[in-house]
Amino acid sequence: MSLAERLLIGRLKARDEQAFNEIVRRYGDKVFSLVYRMIGSRAEAEDIAQEVFVTVFKTIDGFRGESKFSTWLLRIAANQCKNRIKYLARRPAGTSSFDDAVDHASEGALPIPAQGHIDAPDVLMEAAEMESLTQAAIAGLEEDHRLLIVLRDVEELSYQEIGEITGLAEGTIKSRLHRARMAIKEHLDRNTR
Amino acid sequence: MDHGKASDLFSDYVEDSLPLAVKAELEQHLAVCIQCRTDLASFRQTVGALSRLKKAAPSSFLPSIQKQIYDRSRGRFFGRRWKLFGRIPFEWVSLAMIIAMLIYYIALMHGAPSGVHPSP
Repeated sequence: MSLAERLLIGRLKARDEQAFNEIVRRYGDKVFSLVYRMIGSRAEAEDIAQEVFVTVFKTIDGFRGESKFSTWLLRIAANQCKNRIKYLARRPAGTSSFDDAVDHASEGALPIPAQGHIDAPDVLMEAAEMESLTQAAIAGLEEDHRLLIVLRDVEELSYQEIGEITGLAEGTIKSRLHRARMAIKEHLDRNTR
Repeated sequence: MDHGKASDLFSDYVEDSLPLAVKAELEQHLAVCIQCRTDLASFRQTVGALSRLKKAAPSSFLPSIQKQIYDRSRGRFFGRRWKLFGRIPFEWVSLAMIIAMLIYYIALMHGAPSGVHPSP
C-alpha cells in the first residue's frame, strides 16, 4: 500500500468526509462494475454498491492494512453480492434479478470510443448485443465461477488478489476459471456463430 | 495431443503462462488441427468480450451514498456545510461554549460587589 493510500485510509478512519469522497471516486466504478456483472440488474447493483461503501464508512476501523485496501473493499462487495444472490434466489419466480440483462450498452458502458472516433450505429448495436449475450452467459454460471470470471476477466485482477478476495488457492482459481470461460464460450458459440 | 487436451490448455495459452515445452506441443497441434484453431479463436473472442464488460457507476452514485450515511448517522456526517467557515465539529462548539461560560463566571466573580450594603 502506497504512502498516499495509507494517509487516505488514516483520514477515512478519522471519518474525514473528503477522504471518503475520494475513496468513492477512486473505487466506485470498480465496485459498481463488479456488482453489476455479478447481479445483472442495474437497480440492484446500485443498491448493493452503495451499501458496500456505507459498510466501508462504518467498518473502516476493522481494516488493518494486511491486504491492499482495494482487495478488502472488493471482498466486502463480493460478500454482499453472495448474500443478495441468496436472497434473490428465495424470491418468488418471475422476479429474476436478471430482468435487465439487456441494459442498453450505451448507458454508462466502458470503454468509451477512442478519441475522435464514433462507431457506426450497426457497430454499436452489435456491441450491445454481444454485451447482452455475454452477460446472459455469466448469469448462467454458478455463483463462485461467476465471481472468478468477473474478478479476472472483467476487472483484470491478479491471481494473488483474487486469492485474497475469495480465499481460494491459485490452482483452484485457474481450473474453475477455465471451466467458466469454456461455458461462456459455448454459450456464445451457440447463440452467435 | 487430442482436442480435449488442447482445449484444456487454452486459458494458460492466452495468458502466456504455459511451460515452453507444453506451449510448443500445443502449437504443433494447432498447426495441423483446424478445429482447435477455430476453437482457440472463439475462446480468445470470449475472453476479449469479457474484458469489455466494465461498467461505470451512475453519476448519482456518490450523492446517493452521502445521503444514506447522512440519514443513518442522523445528520452527523455529510450534513449541509456552513458556507463561510465549513462545518464546525460539535466538539469545538462545546469547547467554545465552556470557555465562554468560564470567562463569564470569572468576570462575574471579579465584578461582583464585595459586600451587601443595606439601603438607607
